[in-house]
Amino acid sequence: MSANKALDGLGRYAGPATLILASLAGGAKHGYALTKDIESFAGVRVAPGTLYEALARLQSQGLIEPVESQDRRRPYRLTAVGATALQAQLDAQRRVADVGLRRLAQGWGTA
Amino acid sequence: MSGPRQRAARLLRWYPRAWRARYDEEFTELLIADLTERPRSPARAADVIRGGLVARLTDAGLCGFAPDGAERAGPGARASLASLACCAAVFLGFGGSEWSQLAIGWQWSAPDTAAAVATVVMSGAMLVLAGLALLAGLPVARAVAARIARGRARGLIVPSALFLGGLVVMVVGGRHFGNGWPGTGGHPWTHPGPVPGGVAAFAWASTLSVSSFWAHPAALAAFPAAELTWMALSPLALACLVTGAAAALRRTELSPAVLRFETRLARAACLTMAVFLGAGWAWIADRAPRAGSLFHPGVIDVAGLAVMALALATGWQAARQAAR
Repeated sequence: MSANKALDGLGRYAGPATLILASLAGGAKHGYALTKDIESFAGVRVAPGTLYEALARLQSQGLIEPVESQDRRRPYRLTAVGATALQAQLDAQRRVADVGLRRLAQGWGTA
Repeated sequence: MSGPRQRAARLLRWYPRAWRARYDEEFTELLIADLTERPRSPARAADVIRGGLVARLTDAGLCGFAPDGAERAGPGARASLASLACCAAVFLGFGGSEWSQLAIGWQWSAPDTAAAVATVVMSGAMLVLAGLALLAGLPVARAVAARIARGRARGLIVPSALFLGGLVVMVVGGRHFGNGWPGTGGHPWTHPGPVPGGVAAFAWASTLSVSSFWAHPAALAAFPAAELTWMALSPLALACLVTGAAAALRRTELSPAVLRFETRLARAACLTMAVFLGAGWAWIADRAPRAGSLFHPGVIDVAGLAVMALALATGWQAARQAAR
């Protein structure tokens, strides 16, 4: 699977997956740190069950990997494939945002 | 009130063993932190329960992915095939009951057109399913035997014993109670049907537990004790047989070629079950007047059809997962 298409197969997990990848782009984090970081930059609290479903799927696709740790809270980090997939996903979201903002400005006069 | 660790441990029980083995400590730590921060959250409990059920479905090879990705492709496919085997057993338990009812009915009187067509189609489907089961079972039995012969029997003894024990009980019990029933077996006053009397009687006896008599305790109390015992025992024996086969399949490594072969058989089995189900539905949906007839479908047949449809849908999903 190409990195550009990696998030397509995640279906309804694409949302949490993008948030997790965006959080891990800033460095390795364990589950609770991920939850708090995502809450701080996205205003969304990813529930534990959903978080680990997405983590397991991202790991199975090679987009993230666990970091060796003596701590019971195992951290995860972004892989190179994951970084490329996140870039592709965010580029796509930016295109949508750009179009939406431009049309809003043209049709509704919003800034 | 119990502490966060105890509550986390309780929530973790929703997840399957394999998942817990992989994520136990880190997930527990996350739950403890979350429980400490937000002691009461029904939404969190619901999310964890849903996640656990999804993980269980994944572990059974019915959806999603395997926890460790590509390295788990073989076990994942075997889990899917094992789930399909369980679904097929449920399907055949109820389907065999309806089919034997029609086949035995034909021994006593000529059926109407819908019942005759259904019996013939279901008989053909049964024959195909038996052949597919044999073809699917042989490579697995060979792999299990080879592993035991190499002295690597660990993890296979109990499933093999369950399978063989269940098989012996089903065959001996089915033969015993089938032979004891006078409606089949080539009695001179019976009609020749498309299904040999002995086969129909065996299927009838093996599926005796699928009965509406469970809803009528007074009528059930009039049954001979041995027959009642068999009605209670045979589902357990069938469960042992299928559980043993499924566990052995999950624990036995199969080559990619054998897995591909098994997956093709799985699809063929699903299609055959769909044909069987269609014939059963056509028989039940036909409005020919049959009150008092041996071919009159009852509530148990309608319920059985619903269970078979559910088993087929689940089995089809398992076959799709096995092919991924």
